[in-house]
Order: sequence, then C-alpha cells, then structure tokens
Amino acid sequence: MVRTQTDPLGSDDYRKERLMIEIRGLSKSFVGQDGGRVEALRDVDLDVGENEFLTVLGPSGCGKTTLLKAIAGLIPWQDGDILIDGTPVRGPGADRSMVFQNFALLPWATVLDNVAFGLRMRGVGRAEREERARSLIAMVGLSGFETKRPGELSGGMQQRVGIARALAVRPRVLLMDEPFGAVDEQTRRLLQEELLAIWEEHRLTVVFITHSMEEAVLLGDRVVLMSARPGRIAEIVPVPLQRPRSSDVSALERSGKYVEITAYLWDRLRDMHEEHRPATVAR
Amino acid sequence: MSTLAGQRRARTAHPRRQPSWRRLPAAPLSLAAGAAAWELIGHLAGVSFFPPLSTVLVRLADMAFNGVIFSSLGDSLLNLALGFAISLAAGLLTGVAMGRYRRVEAALGVYVYALLTAPSLVFAPIFFSVLGEGRGSIIAVVVMYAMFVIIINTASAIQSVPAHLVEMARSYGASERQVLLRVMLPAATPMIMAGVRLGIGRAVTGMINGEMFIAVVGLGRIVTEAGGRFDSASVLAVLLVIIAVALGGVALVQIVDRRITRWIPKTSRGDR
Repeated sequence: MVRTQTDPLGSDDYRKERLMIEIRGLSKSFVGQDGGRVEALRDVDLDVGENEFLTVLGPSGCGKTTLLKAIAGLIPWQDGDILIDGTPVRGPGADRSMVFQNFALLPWATVLDNVAFGLRMRGVGRAEREERARSLIAMVGLSGFETKRPGELSGGMQQRVGIARALAVRPRVLLMDEPFGAVDEQTRRLLQEELLAIWEEHRLTVVFITHSMEEAVLLGDRVVLMSARPGRIAEIVPVPLQRPRSSDVSALERSGKYVEITAYLWDRLRDMHEEHRPATVAR
Repeated sequence: MSTLAGQRRARTAHPRRQPSWRRLPAAPLSLAAGAAAWELIGHLAGVSFFPPLSTVLVRLADMAFNGVIFSSLGDSLLNLALGFAISLAAGLLTGVAMGRYRRVEAALGVYVYALLTAPSLVFAPIFFSVLGEGRGSIIAVVVMYAMFVIIINTASAIQSVPAHLVEMARSYGASERQVLLRVMLPAATPMIMAGVRLGIGRAVTGMINGEMFIAVVGLGRIVTEAGGRFDSASVLAVLLVIIAVALGGVALVQIVDRRITRWIPKTSRGDR
C-alpha cells in the first residue's frame, strides 16, 4: 500500500464493499459475584463492513463493552468466532486499536510519549514514532501540547490524546468504548464533529459503543441495539442519513429522519427497561 | 498502609487570615523549643544520665576533633550503604514478583510478614555463627531490618496499579515485560518510594544494632564503650550523629523520589 506524507493514517480514500469484522455465534459467560453464571453475550452474530461506522447502543449490562473487548482480543470467550478481514482473533493485534472511556493515559508520560505508546510497544524506532505522533497530535488539534502531561489537560483534550494514540498505529479497525462519556456536553459535541471529520477523510472501520441514542444516530451508518440479560443483539437499525455529516451537524439533528430514528430507538430502549424492571427480573 | 498514605496526604491549606505566630516556620521553631527543653531539663534534673544539650555538643565537638567520630562514621556508613543496597535490590525484585504474580505472593507472603514483625535481632546469633563477627553479619542485620518493609510496599504498589492502564497496554500489544517496565513500575513508583523511605530509616536502626550487639565496630562501638563507662554525654553525642545519618539518608531518598516522580501533579503531592 502506497502511503502519502500528507495522510497520517495512510488510509486509502475509497470504500470497498467487503466485510472487515465477522462475528459468528459469539457467547461469553462468567461467574458473577453471587456465584451464579452471568451470560454476558449469547449467540451474537454481526458483520461490519470495511470502512463502516457502526454504533452499538444498549442499556447497561447488555454486554456491549464485553463485545468490544472480545473484538479487541482482550478477553477470552466460550463459543463462536471473531474474524478480522478473514483472520480469527487470537489476542490483541496491530490491525485494531482501542479508545477508552476513562482515557487510560499514562499520567507520567508526555502527550507525545502517550500518543507514541502503541508504536513503541510495536517496536517502531524513536525518530519514526515521534514523527508519526507529532502529525497525529496536529490532526487532533493539540500542537503545542506535546510536552504537557495528562494532568495538565482537560478531559476533552485527554481524549484527543487517546484518539491520536489509537490512530497512530494505523489500525484498520478503531474500537471506541463510550469515548465521550466522561466529557462535558459541549466538548462532546466538538469531539463528535471532529471524529466524523477524521473518519470522513481517512476512512476506517469504527465500532463505537455509546449509551446515547443521539450519538449513535449522529455517528453511525447502522445502530446495533443490544438487550441485557443475556446480552444479545435485539435489532440492527440502519441510519440512512447523508454523508458527510461533519459539515452541518445541527441541520442534521433537525432533519425528520434523524428525529424519527432517535424516537424509534428510544421506544425500543424503553421497552427493554420495562422488561427488566427489578420486580419482574427472574432470578 | 494508612500511615504511608498519610505521609503523602496534602497538608491542609492555610486559612486566609491567621495569627502572626502561625506564619513562623514550624520546623526550626520546634527544633529550637526541643533544644531549649533539653538544656533546661538537663540542668534542672542534674542527673548524670541526662546531661544538658550544651554538654553533649561540647563532647561531640571533642570527638569530632580527635577523629574518633569520623573513622567510626566511615565504617558505619559503608555497612549502611551495602546493607541498604542489598535490601533495595532484593526488596524491589521480590516485591514486584509478589505484586504481579498471585502464586509468588501466596508462597512468600507469610514469610515476609513474619519477618517484618519478628524482632530482627533474634537472628543476630545465627548471622554471627554463619558469617562471623565481621562486616557480613552487620550487613545481614541491616538487610533484616530494611528489606521487608520495601518488599511489602512494592508488592502493594504493583497491586494497586490501575487495571485499565494494564488493559490499555495489552490492547496495544505490550508484552509482559513491557507491561511491567513501561506501565506497572512507573505507576507504582510513588508508593514504592514511600517504602524505600521507611526502609532507609530502618536500615540505620539495623546498622547501629548490628554494630552494638554483633561486631563491636563503627558508631555502635562508641555507644557500647561509652555506655559501659556510664558516659551519657558521649552516648547522646553519637545518637545525634546517628540521627543526622538517618535524616541524611531519608533526604537522599527524597531527592531521588522527587526526580523520578515529577509527573505527579502539584495539587496531589502536598509536602513537595
């Protein structure tokens, strides 16, 4: 693959209609605190196309983070397969990188060293990894903050570092675990727009966990709706809103389709909550 | 560990307006008050076991000029340095292994806690018979005093490294070695250093006890001999030197600590 200097991700600027992630019959359970078995995921089937932006929405305890960690290769599971571009997941790999809800930055390391962390773990030499880190830092708008430490940055800036770190390893799949859940509403809006702009320009496959219906619709090509106990896919809702969306997010949010899909998702989510009122939960 | 946490806790902020005596530096003031009390009680009591501070200082000056202190001090500092270096190396290795691997902790934990609380001098006769009355026995006593607190702090520090940092590193393909060196050790450093600071204080105690009870050398020898002559002024003069050595050691550890934990935000460091 030929990579140009101007594109820090080195991604190809076209979209192939083929699968990037295939999940077949994925089941995962573990022993809960009360000693009983908890079914985190039951028989999950999911295909994610190359360069698709997939959002995953569901009540807490629906296994969406478990699903993401399984794709990341961070946790084992009992049944089923996960394939990334046809290759079974056996552990963490260079083709995937993750953005964490609590940022997970190294507090002693500078912004530059944090962004270069993944490259360092993969054995990239100092000169190259710092050059790549600097271009990513510029891309997320943090030029001038290279020598700052996470404690000196706001939450929004810290997550920009987290995103830059994830993109620096040039992943084919970006896994995002409620990345904007810990920042304030205004910062969240800005980060959503910037993430859309980055994805529109560089194109990569994104799996994005959220508990916000608005965020799921705004960002996603499709919304995967999960239900809890056991965690499984309840429905996959396509989002036929035009792209690119980053240029006018506000207009998009006023559009009939956006309002309609968000309302539909809320109806479905409310049904799930009704089903799981504490009094009716079977123990 | 609560005492360790306490040492790191920020001092409470001074209120905006306060009486003028509160603005005087606390440490020099407290030292001056202590010295005055010692001098006064020494004169009032008039017993030979508790001479006033001035008598002790004059004796200290004598001992410094005739060279007794410095030749002994060199001996003692060598014992201290070697013993502490061994405690540090073995303590960090064992502590990291115990903190990282549950099986190692299960296997060694009981010994470490037993030896932490056991009076270390009990082992002096064993060292004496195995290592003889030379430097080796004293160093062994220093290690018995200093190592276990370093092990226990290091193990706790490694165990309290946030799990999400380790998970992050693994997601970027970090090997076990990289997780340890690039994530766990740096994250654990502040708490490890708290243990090292406790360790240096205990090492000084071990050095003196070793010198007094096993091999009669160094500062310990002066204490033993002066004690035999009921020469309290000399005993207390050497005690001042020992305290200075201990404080010097702690200051040294703190300088290193400050250099390698500069990343901790000022608001959460308090005493720095």
